[in-house]
Amino acid sequence: MGKVIVITSGKGGVGKTTSTANLGTALAMLDKTVVIVDADVGLRNLDVVMGLESRVVYTSMDVIEKRCELSKALVKDRRVENLMLLAASQRNRKDDIRPEQMQDICEKLKEDYDFVLIDSPAGIEQGFHNAAAGADEAIIVTTPDLSAIRDADRIIGLLQNEGIEPINLVINRLSATLVRKGNMISKNDVLDILNIDLLGVIPEDTGVIASTNRGVPLVHTERSPGAEAYMRIARRMTGQRVPIPDMREDSFLDQIANWFSKKK
Amino acid sequence: MDNTIVKLRGYKDGLHLIINPKVSLKEVETAIHELLSEMNQSLSGTSIQIDMMTTPLTSDDLKELETHLTKSYDLVVSGVNVLDEKDESPILAAPTTHSISEELSLDTPMHVENAQVVRQTIRSGQTTSCLTGSVILYGDVNPGGEVIASGDIVVLGALRGSAHAGANGRLSSVIIAMDLVPLQLQIGTYVNRPPLGQKPRGYPEIARVGAEDIIIVEEFIKF
Repeated sequence: MGKVIVITSGKGGVGKTTSTANLGTALAMLDKTVVIVDADVGLRNLDVVMGLESRVVYTSMDVIEKRCELSKALVKDRRVENLMLLAASQRNRKDDIRPEQMQDICEKLKEDYDFVLIDSPAGIEQGFHNAAAGADEAIIVTTPDLSAIRDADRIIGLLQNEGIEPINLVINRLSATLVRKGNMISKNDVLDILNIDLLGVIPEDTGVIASTNRGVPLVHTERSPGAEAYMRIARRMTGQRVPIPDMREDSFLDQIANWFSKKK
Repeated sequence: MDNTIVKLRGYKDGLHLIINPKVSLKEVETAIHELLSEMNQSLSGTSIQIDMMTTPLTSDDLKELETHLTKSYDLVVSGVNVLDEKDESPILAAPTTHSISEELSLDTPMHVENAQVVRQTIRSGQTTSCLTGSVILYGDVNPGGEVIASGDIVVLGALRGSAHAGANGRLSSVIIAMDLVPLQLQIGTYVNRPPLGQKPRGYPEIARVGAEDIIIVEEFIKF
């Protein structure tokens, strides 16, 4: 019996789909069986990011309306074994699906797979509720800016109301240089406000843009800081203890000061 | 024309009828009649409190006096305060000793107050409200979160969202937080917000309505 994890953020454009694609791929590379589910009905993207656009024949809508079996709707990944995609219907709207129907699909999927990752749409309406309906756990993706943090805070409240626990945090697109200059909110300040467990930090990595456009998740690229960060998060999700490396957000002088204060 | 037996005084919480102790009920009633007939204004319908020293009047006498006041002068007795003889001014002492009417009008200070204890962080979009007393919060109030209380608000964490104390209009309400960096503060009908870009100061602070009818914030040391 696997677990269902919803990947959500509230605000759009912070990296939910990128994170779902990369974590799904990374987990499959660690020999786990994984299904990634696109819950963004009407605005599907996950198939594009995975480079599987042309292989999608059936969607979750077809499964719900009993036009095909669930196993038939799953699209096999091009590169990694054990990785499946369940695409969202592009013709329908989010209100066409009810939470119970999503829950039903999740229940069936987690019988056969170790991880079911659900890519949630932005917003707090029906689409979000559908995405969260079948979830056991949640991963919140946020960027270190105030509007994303505010929306993440709102989403955490809603998830807690639904009894989803644990809720872990991924901070995306952190630039240590900007934090050092005082132009970006630091990791610790984000944690201070949101007050949930940190699963990992993804540094700003321009490689993401190229990988999205090519339809090859970043984790296939070697020596990319973003890919390494996603691999570390995937290891943590499988229960391994992988420390979160120091992002060098502090200036050189601050580091010396920290070093001295630790000694005391 | 100085009436030595009964006096009528107006205080913050309404009219007080102050009765000299060492006389009988009959004398008190005549004195009241004298006092009220002298007035050129009818007091009918007015709510009144009776203040007296430790008294020879029995509770039966008091009841009779009350019905007399209601029947003859159309006064509403809202409370009886029996005060210790040592107290120089009966009004300086808080009039809490013995109250006939259970109903609290808006003007009377609240004697018994509830407090709602919240053990949770109030996140964006969430609201906690207590319109029958104060709120004590073990957690933070994040930006976009809101706490409303008819009494005081005490946040044992960081207040980064909005807080509205004294929501029923009680201006003596206060807001206390370990880190007071709110988006907006409201006490009664007064609203204030901190200057942009304010950093937490690292010590608890208290916000209350100051002398010039603005919300002031200062370091919280003690009540």
